[in-house]
Amino acid sequence: MKWNDDLEHFPYPFKGSVYRYSNNSIPMNTPISIEITPDYKDEMLLKRNLLTHHPERCYQSLSHTTTGQWEIVNLVIDQLVTYYPQHFSVEKKDAEWTFHNKIFDETHKFTFQDERTLPCEPLAFISHHVQEDLLFMMQRDGDLYLDAGQLCFPANWSLAFNLGMKFKSIHHPIPGFKEEGMDDRILQFLMRLEAGNPWERKNWSLMAGDRLDTSLETFDKWGKLRKQVTRENAGELVHLRVEVQKLFRLPRTNSILFTIHTHLLSLEKLASNHEWLKQFYDILSELPAHILEYKGISLYRDEVLNFLNHRLKGGKVR
Amino acid sequence: MYKEKTIPVYIKEIYQETNDVKRFILASVEGKLLPRFNSGAHIATYLKREDGFIIRQYSLTSNPDKTDQYQIAVRLSNASKGGSLFWHEQIKVGDELHISYPKNDFPLSFKAKHHVFYAAGIGITPFLSMIQELSDKGSSFELHYASKSKEVCAFYDYLRKHFSNQSHFYFSKQHNRVSTSSLEKHPIGTHIYFCGPVSFIQEFTEAALGIGYPKSSIHLEHFVPVQPMNVEPFQVITKNGEVIQVAKEQTLLEALLHNNVEAPYSCRMGRCGTCEIPVLKGEIDHCDSFLTEDQKNAQRSILTCVSRAKSGKLVIGI
Repeated sequence: MKWNDDLEHFPYPFKGSVYRYSNNSIPMNTPISIEITPDYKDEMLLKRNLLTHHPERCYQSLSHTTTGQWEIVNLVIDQLVTYYPQHFSVEKKDAEWTFHNKIFDETHKFTFQDERTLPCEPLAFISHHVQEDLLFMMQRDGDLYLDAGQLCFPANWSLAFNLGMKFKSIHHPIPGFKEEGMDDRILQFLMRLEAGNPWERKNWSLMAGDRLDTSLETFDKWGKLRKQVTRENAGELVHLRVEVQKLFRLPRTNSILFTIHTHLLSLEKLASNHEWLKQFYDILSELPAHILEYKGISLYRDEVLNFLNHRLKGGKVR
Repeated sequence: MYKEKTIPVYIKEIYQETNDVKRFILASVEGKLLPRFNSGAHIATYLKREDGFIIRQYSLTSNPDKTDQYQIAVRLSNASKGGSLFWHEQIKVGDELHISYPKNDFPLSFKAKHHVFYAAGIGITPFLSMIQELSDKGSSFELHYASKSKEVCAFYDYLRKHFSNQSHFYFSKQHNRVSTSSLEKHPIGTHIYFCGPVSFIQEFTEAALGIGYPKSSIHLEHFVPVQPMNVEPFQVITKNGEVIQVAKEQTLLEALLHNNVEAPYSCRMGRCGTCEIPVLKGEIDHCDSFLTEDQKNAQRSILTCVSRAKSGKLVIGI
């Protein structure tokens, strides 16, 4: 599948010429957890297909999350109809809700907080209408747990494996994350998130190929592309993968909604912006081995640097 | 500094609960529904005065699922510097004010097998939503409530009516005092919650620890004290010996960046923790809402975006 590769709206993640792990969160001006992009229809068809055929890797929940799941339905629907009234609408008569997705020409009637009136769990239901992956972190007994989630477009991790884990355990595999005290600091930040005051951040990685569904479970299908990168094909094959992540406190259950919108941009497109090209070249040249390794870049870093360097010198590859 | 988003509300009803406690019913000015809240939650109220705002925190005493109105209860304090006095003498039905979104520093334990609440006086307020929630869920709990007499015991009739089986009252005027010895009678797996005057909380906490309750099974209500901001110019000495002046109207972060020191940052409001840097010498005036009390007292790091020097000079590790 070919994505829009939209340079103008791409959430470019870098500042400065050096990248290190940090909590680069900023408060959101407009409190919106989801975004509808021109790729909506294509991405939703892919997502719905994954949810139908691979439920075990795309959807997981623990039984105590139902109230929180309804909070997410409430928040997401209210934001969809507020910010995209041309695409979504809702009528609420007490607990009787009628939700319209005008892009797909669908109408859903259900009773709020009554699971029996939905075809699936509330979180799974609302997942069928937004491009974002939706993760539910519950704050209980002084820690944060991943207690439910819908994850179709992971950057090489597994929801089924991480379900029920604490924040720090989930992030344990990141080299240096614990040693630099990042795990404590970010957990501390998350536990103090307040309702009405949402935050956002960007995370990035590089990938060979343009698959959105790079789950740990399907690594055998997409991981091998890393071996095929050359200076000549890097522009087409390699993509900068950026996650726009948003954090909302759900006040009823004192839990956190974490949404991830994944964007891909080919290096070819990236290189057409000279400022980005230069900055990304500097960052990648300097990036320490442990970050390269964790982000899955080690195998083809030199080829990408060669490509970027060639472009910096004004060279066309073909 | 961090400025939270607020909700405009008006005073819908006022009730004299006891001689010195009034209940206030708040509803949205815009006719919108208020957020649901997590039991044990409080709001900050912003009362406009000629010389600025009085900000006071009060527990929400209504049902957490009730969204058309909130209820708070305010006791007239003898030592009132304006907060409770203003609520009791100035506020009338129809008045408008702003409140924060609900926040919870005093949540119910998720893993507790049995919950026991110890309240003294107006300390009853956070427990009202908590016992409502436990009762709705069919969970096991008991309440021990100390007051001077039945007449000054706020919510006495309400508790007798709805939770008579779980409520135990202690009236000191009748020489019936609540005693820490009752802590010995709770089964393993019990979580205990204290709210009331500092001396009461201290006495019960010490007794509970003495009996052998795990620290994680003891929960206290404490409000974050307001940080007075003492804005004075100061200087910092960086790793390479450079002396940087921080002007009165400037933050340390701004001064560092102005002097081309590559200081990390993100939110610029003392919440995310990204700008934290080590402090090797000097006393810090912490103004952030990120570091824990222990971390602040250790005086080993500073959030450059909001915090300043108490000692006039700091030696920093950047």
